[in-house]
Amino acid sequence: MTPVLEAIDVFKEYREGRGETVPVLKGVSLSLSRGEIVSLEGPSGSGKTTLLSILGCILTASSGRIVVEGEEADPKRPARLPEIRKKSIGFVFQQFNLFPSLTALENVEYALNVKGLRNATARKEAERVLDAVGLDDRKHFLPRDLSGGQKQRIAIARALAGRSPILLADEPTANLDSHIGGQILEMFRALAKKEDRALLIVTHDPKVRTVSDRVLQIRDGSIAEDGIAA
Amino acid sequence: MVDLATKSLLHDKLRFLITVSGVAFAVTLVFVQVGLFLGLLDNASITIEHIDADLWVTSRNTPNVDFAHTFPDTQVKRVRSVPGVARADNLIVWFVTMNLPSGAQEGSLIYALDDFSLWNIPWNVMEGDLADLKRGQYFFLDDSAVKRYGPFAVGEYREIMGQRMKIIGRTKHARSFTTTPITFIDFDRAQTLNPQSLQGKTTYILVKLAPGADPQAVKAEIARRLPYNDVYTRKDWAARSRRYWVQSTGIGLNMYITVFLGCLVGIVVVAQTLYTSTMEHLKEFGTVKAIGGGNFDIYRILAKQASIAAVAGFILGALMAYAMRPAITKIDLKLIIPPAFVAIVFAGSVVMCLAAAMISFKKVASIDPALVFRA
Repeated sequence: MTPVLEAIDVFKEYREGRGETVPVLKGVSLSLSRGEIVSLEGPSGSGKTTLLSILGCILTASSGRIVVEGEEADPKRPARLPEIRKKSIGFVFQQFNLFPSLTALENVEYALNVKGLRNATARKEAERVLDAVGLDDRKHFLPRDLSGGQKQRIAIARALAGRSPILLADEPTANLDSHIGGQILEMFRALAKKEDRALLIVTHDPKVRTVSDRVLQIRDGSIAEDGIAA
Repeated sequence: MVDLATKSLLHDKLRFLITVSGVAFAVTLVFVQVGLFLGLLDNASITIEHIDADLWVTSRNTPNVDFAHTFPDTQVKRVRSVPGVARADNLIVWFVTMNLPSGAQEGSLIYALDDFSLWNIPWNVMEGDLADLKRGQYFFLDDSAVKRYGPFAVGEYREIMGQRMKIIGRTKHARSFTTTPITFIDFDRAQTLNPQSLQGKTTYILVKLAPGADPQAVKAEIARRLPYNDVYTRKDWAARSRRYWVQSTGIGLNMYITVFLGCLVGIVVVAQTLYTSTMEHLKEFGTVKAIGGGNFDIYRILAKQASIAAVAGFILGALMAYAMRPAITKIDLKLIIPPAFVAIVFAGSVVMCLAAAMISFKKVASIDPALVFRA
């Protein structure tokens, strides 16, 4: 199967105040295909979030290549990176990152507006994904009036909206209790499979393995293990 | 299209109120300061604007309408002979002293003409008939004199330059820049009030052009025939009179400084609240970037928020300025706010707020979208 997202020998170093460089990623390679659900595990400081940022074209690698749907995310063309994010990638964040002044529906619709969808088309798509995550009856609520689980559902709906083939989730269950976290993961998996999306979940949560097709272990900036989930 | 800018701005109502108040304060300050300034300047040329003369002949280098110098009153005959002149009359504008019933002595500015009815001055007669001025020791007094002279009534007497004269009429809205009350007297009688200075003299010649006459050509011809006088169109003479007060008294500089400070306060308040708001919403702006938005999308949000603050602040500020008008009129001042100035202040408010938002633009441009992953 043709991968929708590839990282090829990716290195990333940060420069510290005194001019020293700190290597965070040391030659990471991985690929993700449509309909595939992969969890990325590793201890704190292992480079999980940095890798996720690079895969999502938010950060650029010090060296190596990122290929999204066949197009190389060229760090020399930084103006192209938001376009790639817009077209191909949906994010789910640990802190939900919803706009507090917008209702559930507007949060999703705004993301679609940024992607270029307008008016009725955007509204219809936003309603579709909110319905898919079971929040049809809460679509006019502001985030402050919703529970953590409901907020994460909106965040997932926002990522699903616009049919981006790649979904990147950063610790999506970290702020949820175990029961709700489990429900969210099941729902996320079902929707990703149903809509043939590639889903990469960065996590500490062992439950994520249960919904994954494959598990990647990252340690000290390198992929230590790439295996089928048990 | 979801309006994130407006919703986010109105979400924090207290901050929005502070921002709008900052703009409104600046707008009110500018309106009131400039309005008062224009009101004062209006007094400097109000008689010129109302007198129905196309050209004014003055003595050489007369600085403004109040500070007149004399020249022979026979010059008017030369002016009347210039082709294109329909009518020309002498006008005396002169400072005199008036003895009040209280025993106090006050200054007064007389306007003296042979026939006031031909020149639309005074333009607001409340009581009395101007034609009666020729019949004796009579004068008209403007209502604005009450503040300096105390109450007066038609039929009462006052002493002007030692001559007992009767008030036979009252006018309204005739003022001088120096707030010296204006009295209207017959031309011949005015010459007798101060014979040493005014006998056989005038201070101005008012000129009305014949229909179709070219003002510049007539002006040039009068200037040629009266080489020791100056000739102005009404517009130029009014501008010269106003300019004198602006330049010689420092009120112009005072006005500019106040307007500058008003704008500065507005910019600081708006910049500070927008910047603080931007700092508090960095993660939201980071999210906009993460979901594919660029700096331009965020600039647009900030610019829209600044524009909304500008419009709301302008409306509030303008309403406050207009609400202050009756109180200002009560203390005998004028607040003049021409429509063109309203448009300028509106555009200025928007520019001011956008300039303030640009400080936030810089911060937004440096947002690291990776901050969306931070707890």
